[in-house]
Amino acid sequence: MTDNESVDDPPEPDPTETIEELRRSFWYGSRSNLSFKFLKDLPDAEFGDFLDELLTEVAATIDSGDPTGVIDTAYRWQIQGYTGHLGDPNDFPHRFDDVPINPLPKPLSECRVTLLTSSGHFVEGDDPKPFGIESMTQAEAEARIGDFLKEAPSLSSIPVDVDPAQLRVRHGGYPTDAVRSDHQVGLPIGHLADLAADGVIGALNPTAYSFVGAASQVRLKRQVAPEWADRLRNDGETDVVLLVPL
Amino acid sequence: MSVGHVQRAIEEAGIPTVSVYIRSFGHIPELMGLSRSLITRHPMGRPLGAPGDGKRQRSVVEAALALLESPTQTIVEFDETYRIESD
Repeated sequence: MTDNESVDDPPEPDPTETIEELRRSFWYGSRSNLSFKFLKDLPDAEFGDFLDELLTEVAATIDSGDPTGVIDTAYRWQIQGYTGHLGDPNDFPHRFDDVPINPLPKPLSECRVTLLTSSGHFVEGDDPKPFGIESMTQAEAEARIGDFLKEAPSLSSIPVDVDPAQLRVRHGGYPTDAVRSDHQVGLPIGHLADLAADGVIGALNPTAYSFVGAASQVRLKRQVAPEWADRLRNDGETDVVLLVPL
Repeated sequence: MSVGHVQRAIEEAGIPTVSVYIRSFGHIPELMGLSRSLITRHPMGRPLGAPGDGKRQRSVVEAALALLESPTQTIVEFDETYRIESD
């Protein structure tokens, strides 16, 4: 991940910009686009291949009306952007060799499930107020991504029977359009309630949790995550946890 | 990585967990030593499926929960490509 660079005000596009400057402009720059910010780190030749493939698929879509090829191209290049140049696994900054794991304490059909996501959801009237700012917009969150990445995240509680119209989402690190139009893309409280009603799971914790994943990883790991884990262990509503990152 | 730290901490507190990662971040469960993860072939920002595709979203959630039955580290791919379908 490369979200740990400082962010300045987006500069105006430079008519003489280089290919590198063009690539970087998608990463919180003048052409900021959270679905394609990975272009910043693509080698120029791969950037060219991406454009070539994308434009070919766009041209095909004009006649076919079927966007499948465009979606597939975007998907494949996102994978290339995030996994194509990982380097030595030993250099991964948050690598662990052990695997903490617990067996199910009882059948899944008897387990109480807690949902915890990093989608940045909260309920209207319960704004986590990053940096003390109430009603920060998505655009402001993107502009302050560098500040978010230095702070410990806070955990928002969401009643699972909340009126979806009261749900809000704000996250400067990923494209939020899809979860904004349908919260269950990243916060599947309705599906989990249905699975409880159908007896697939025993019950759903009446409180779901969400935080903004773009945060200080060190503070999250050392301080916040263990506190949240203790909270879940002590709440009496949790046998298992489903986590959904975004 | 954020959810990885939280997932590890919850397992360390004695609670079984499962996570859903998109393919672009599908390397993280292995590198971070996560207990159980389902990898979806979805674009960024759509971990469970397309907006309005409740059928796919529920299938992904159900497939992820089923991984909880495994007592050992389990990282598997949800075997369907992304499509835009509405209920």
